Amino acid sequence: MNEFEALLEKLCAASREDFANPYEAFTWPATLPPDRWYMNPGWISLHGTEAWSALDEAARRTLSFHEVVNFFSLNIHGEKALVEGLSRRLYEGESKSITEYLHHFLDEENKHMVYFGGFCQRYAGKIYTDRTVTFPAEYAEGEEEFLFFAKVMIFEELVDVYNVHHARDESIEPLTRTIHRLHHEDEARHLAFGRRQVRRLFERHAPGWDAATLARVRSYLVDYLKMTWAQYYNPDVYRDAGVPEPYRVRESALSHPDRRAHRDLVSRNCLRHLRESGILLEDVAA
Amino acid sequence: MSGAARERLREWIAAKSGRVALADLRDDTPLFEQRLLTSLQTVELLLFLEDLRGEPIDARRLRPGVFRDLDTICRNFLPEGRDGTAG
Repeated sequence: MNEFEALLEKLCAASREDFANPYEAFTWPATLPPDRWYMNPGWISLHGTEAWSALDEAARRTLSFHEVVNFFSLNIHGEKALVEGLSRRLYEGESKSITEYLHHFLDEENKHMVYFGGFCQRYAGKIYTDRTVTFPAEYAEGEEEFLFFAKVMIFEELVDVYNVHHARDESIEPLTRTIHRLHHEDEARHLAFGRRQVRRLFERHAPGWDAATLARVRSYLVDYLKMTWAQYYNPDVYRDAGVPEPYRVRESALSHPDRRAHRDLVSRNCLRHLRESGILLEDVAA
Repeated sequence: MSGAARERLREWIAAKSGRVALADLRDDTPLFEQRLLTSLQTVELLLFLEDLRGEPIDARRLRPGVFRDLDTICRNFLPEGRDGTAG
């Protein structure tokens, strides 16, 4: 048994033992208190900006609720695409040998959507709209497989930093904290798999790619990271929280030095892994 | 004659693309086919269009080809003179 197979066996055993039931893990109150923090102020996408300064304490707490609904909505959209991609890979092609673990991955992602959706639908009455669009593309050998798992890893690495921080933060509303904690417990396994899988696929396929393909793959991953972050700045959130001029505020927040520093900090581990694996060659700003 | 919103969109595309000079970006230049923009930039493009037209766009209803070129984008998202042309 090689190192990767041993990891898969360990992860499968952990998934079987740490089985979380989303229908039993939560007590859903009829309403949530409006005066709690739902996201740590420093992690709110407008924190430190001019628009943030214009909000009083109550308005900032209201914004924190809409921000966490956006965060949970992004998770649902990301997981829908993930479930679709994982389903296609069960018992197929290169992923055939890892199908046993993919069953757990798929199962756990579906369960995450149950509680993310449960929170958003109950307390916000909606899930924020997904603005991502995909076009058909032509790929080099192994490129699509590599990009699928690399995108999953980038998305989950960022999300997990939010999960870990907010699960520990006692100022956060308790139900919200529980969701972060449960999500992190599964994501820790997914990330252990994802990091190894991404490195493995890159080492297998990159030597066969020409320079143009390699450059395209690298540029695509940097653009994907930026696009992922762009969705954390949602004008629909600002509108719902009563922030005036939501599009102008969004542009201003995206380029604000405090927010750039936050994105760089949250992206640090993910980017380090991509560099150490030789996937990216240099530091990039998130 | 192009209007203000159309020209703002042209400038936005040229700036985000980094692969085409503003003067070379025609109304019928294929944006995605020539890789001037990528699918990953459509989130920002949609948000820019929403700002220009003053109302949200439901991305779930988008049909293939709506971002083909500047003319097609204006026709689909900035109709009735909202691209600044007489309409």
